[in-house]
Amino acid sequence: MPLIPGIGHTAVLVGLGLTVYAVTAFVLAARSADPRLAASGRRAVIGSFGAAAVGCAAMMISLLTHDFSVLYVAENNASTTPAFISAISLWAALEGSILFWTLLATGWAALVLHRHRDRHRALMTWVGATLATVNAFFFAVMVWPGNPFTLTSPVTAEGSGPNALLQNHPFMALHPPLLYLGYTGLAVPFAFGVAALITKRLDEEWLRIVRRWTLIPWIFLTLGITAGAWWSYEVLGWGGYWAWDPVENAALLPWLTATAFIHSSMVAERRGGLRIWSSALVIATFVLTLVGTFLTRSGVVASVHSFTQSSIGPWFLTAILIALAGALTLLVWRLPELIGGGRPSGTVSRESAFLLNNVLFLGLTFAVLFGTLLPLLVAATSGDTISVGAPWFNTVTVPMFIALLFLMGVGPALPWGTAGWVTVRERFTIPLLAAVLVTAAALAVGLRSWGPLGTLGLAVFVAGIMVDEVVRGARARARSRDEDPATAVWRLTTRNRRRYGGYTVHVGVLVMAVAVAISSGLAIDRTVTVSPGETATIGAYEITHRRLVVEPLEFDAQVIETRAELTYSGPQSGELGTALRDYPNSPTAIATPAVRTSLGEDLYVTLLASDPATGAVTLHLFVNPFVVWIWIGGAIVGIGSAFAIWPERHARRVEVEQRQAMGAASAEGA
Amino acid sequence: MRHLRWLLVPILVVPLGWLLFTGFGRDPREVASPLIGQPAPEWTLSTLDGDLLSTDDLAGRPYVVNFWASWCIPACVDEHPVLAAAHDRHGDAMTMVGVLYQDTTADAEAFLARYGDAGYPHLVDPDGRLAIDFGVTGPPETFFVDADGIIRDKQFGPLTDALMDERLASIGFDR
Amino acid sequence: MRRLLPAVALGGLLALLAVGLVFALRPGVEPSAAERADALARELRCPDCQGLSVADSPTRSAQEIRRQISSLVAGGAGDEEVRGHFVARYGEWILLAPSSPAYWVIPFAVVAAAAAGLVAWLARRRPAVADSVVISDEQRRSLHDEVEALDA
Repeated sequence: MPLIPGIGHTAVLVGLGLTVYAVTAFVLAARSADPRLAASGRRAVIGSFGAAAVGCAAMMISLLTHDFSVLYVAENNASTTPAFISAISLWAALEGSILFWTLLATGWAALVLHRHRDRHRALMTWVGATLATVNAFFFAVMVWPGNPFTLTSPVTAEGSGPNALLQNHPFMALHPPLLYLGYTGLAVPFAFGVAALITKRLDEEWLRIVRRWTLIPWIFLTLGITAGAWWSYEVLGWGGYWAWDPVENAALLPWLTATAFIHSSMVAERRGGLRIWSSALVIATFVLTLVGTFLTRSGVVASVHSFTQSSIGPWFLTAILIALAGALTLLVWRLPELIGGGRPSGTVSRESAFLLNNVLFLGLTFAVLFGTLLPLLVAATSGDTISVGAPWFNTVTVPMFIALLFLMGVGPALPWGTAGWVTVRERFTIPLLAAVLVTAAALAVGLRSWGPLGTLGLAVFVAGIMVDEVVRGARARARSRDEDPATAVWRLTTRNRRRYGGYTVHVGVLVMAVAVAISSGLAIDRTVTVSPGETATIGAYEITHRRLVVEPLEFDAQVIETRAELTYSGPQSGELGTALRDYPNSPTAIATPAVRTSLGEDLYVTLLASDPATGAVTLHLFVNPFVVWIWIGGAIVGIGSAFAIWPERHARRVEVEQRQAMGAASAEGA
Repeated sequence: MRHLRWLLVPILVVPLGWLLFTGFGRDPREVASPLIGQPAPEWTLSTLDGDLLSTDDLAGRPYVVNFWASWCIPACVDEHPVLAAAHDRHGDAMTMVGVLYQDTTADAEAFLARYGDAGYPHLVDPDGRLAIDFGVTGPPETFFVDADGIIRDKQFGPLTDALMDERLASIGFDR
Repeated sequence: MRRLLPAVALGGLLALLAVGLVFALRPGVEPSAAERADALARELRCPDCQGLSVADSPTRSAQEIRRQISSLVAGGAGDEEVRGHFVARYGEWILLAPSSPAYWVIPFAVVAAAAAGLVAWLARRRPAVADSVVISDEQRRSLHDEVEALDA
């Protein structure tokens, strides 16, 4: 066997061995409460991360050196493939993806076990056992059905080259890593859930730890989903960013339940209880990541990501069923001891708003899962084929999202405990007034589409409540601590990172919501055919066709690009080229739309067809308003959530100050 | 009574497992055709040779309509000899007709030159209208029409010799 | 004046909603043939894409279907007729949204049931303890603000 793939395959085998050993060590450690066994297990997990790293390195080297003795390289690489594309082809197809996935999964496991090595020993032993079991599964998949280091025979002189769609845009480097970091990280809260059910440690301490270990992968998942939407917008050419494709839904499902958990955990922390609900949510989130991978890779549903059908389907299905059945059995076993325990609260209160938020998130999860699986269900029961596409998903989910937006405003305005109507009236009046005024102003200015109008009004309402919160808090702080307003606001927000980080996340969500409403409600498009020299108009833009160019790509001569070179003028001006690329291994040409982004709108041009004889081209022109704000909003969500979980330094400073004060007092007293 | 809660596990796990399991072995892109048992669409189109062919010319005999493309690799390449063999064997009792799906005549002729031309006509469907009338979602798809002009069977994906025999049986050809 | 603000705000909201309702319900202009064709194109699935509508898809089959929709509409066909034309060829699959109303209702029914369940659960657990200390609304408000300001 050639050297590098041999090393890679050996590394995978070592990884399998280490994780199986780790599971054994952890289970025995739990039985005997022997810390050395647990330490050994932990070292094995760290070792498995090393093994995965060696495997990835071997694959990366094989790709960069165009080693076609490896089947994966022969199918996803060619000798002319540029180095950057070769490198990111690690996650271009199934086997490489699983290798990369395992790297991240073992990384999370190593990180968690290392950070908590001195605390919560009983809990962490079972956390280690669960994570090691999950990782052993992935290593096993790489040993049997999905071996990335399968050799070709005979060895071909040239490879098929990477999938055309995956080399058109640099975001291919961004979206999968972010997404996988999110997906793999969500095994950690699951492991904590399983461990807590086994050791009966579902207390506030557990809740604090699990929320943190949910939030960190949640940030990556959010950014990964946003990057995926941005990438498909820039690459696919139909002018949209979300098509409710099964794999888009697959990424969204665990995100929905994880977000629900982040919110309900705040209620659980405040009032106690909700232990069954919390466990169920972390279990559901992890199972949904497995279901998502299954839907993407098994070939059971057709989607944009169906790049390869494969034999790993049955393996993943088995894993899903074992994980779900096992975790559910644990939950049902502990059910009698977990019931109750919370302090009740009023029907109108922050708790009930948060819990209604959970009902909506879970309702969305059900709707998206239902819509994705319905064609499968109908085919299985009646043999008919139906489609469930964007019109259905939009009609069903948009009202739920709107209700969630409303709750996003209402929740923080209501106090914990019980709210009287006085409080409601007080908190909502000014924000409602502001929302009404802004909506009326927008109407007056000419905005007539009710989608953007309603979302805008709702957003102002929610934002108004948040501003009101900051003002009230700052005022109370300024009064009680004798600070000036500016300092009060600064200290208030930076010292309550969880709350104000959370508000920043909500601001990001509002920005995204308004941007989505405006870009989908007010977009205009038209299809035109122009000869060289002719001009077409769309919205405030004038587009002039200069010439049609057919030539090979600079950085990859095997690809022939048919490019329409245009000039445009209007709110933005300049030149652009929109093209269709013919990749040697793809039957149809791949669209390379041109996007000119400004804060106000995107000019988006796709080349549909061209006539080489006359130089005439058929273009699909779009003006998509406010699209960039969707990505900006996503970034704000990322920043806000990072801020929310950033460890606070002031806690230590207060401690120091207190100790100093006590020291001074005792010195005086002595 | 208190052990009733254990039912939760099979109630949640079994339906999900069954549903996801049923997906195996089925091609998710295959669409159930409403045309089975219905009269086949009528058409008058030019062939690659330049002649005009219509369903009137085929009346009274069973015929097979095969949608293919030169870019449909390897499926159309794999089924090409199967189609040729069926034409050789049954060509006197039924008509085999190929239809180009989103292809150019030049590429189609090159394909036939490379993989062999069995001698049956290939229709040029410039706007894809015939493909839409047959509800084709992508090549290769093959329709089996009996002597009365009713579609009796459809093959989604490439044909093998075994599948060809099976489908031909529906329009009256014994195995 | 301050006491009137809630009423003003609520009144403004109701006025906006009324305006919206009037606009939504008034007998609108008949959609033009182009608009009808466009709406239908959004409902039909492109046969050789991954889940896109024929309105969004650049493929040749999608363009041909759009041409057929336009000519059917121009020839006087109603919306149901146009849909039926393509369903006869492709089956229900060509419609991007299932026609059976049950599938549309089920998700909302689930959410409504869950919300009702939540309300019932909360009502059962309502705190039965009455306030033993009587404080004024002013005091409650400022106390609440201070607690909130110090809290995470």
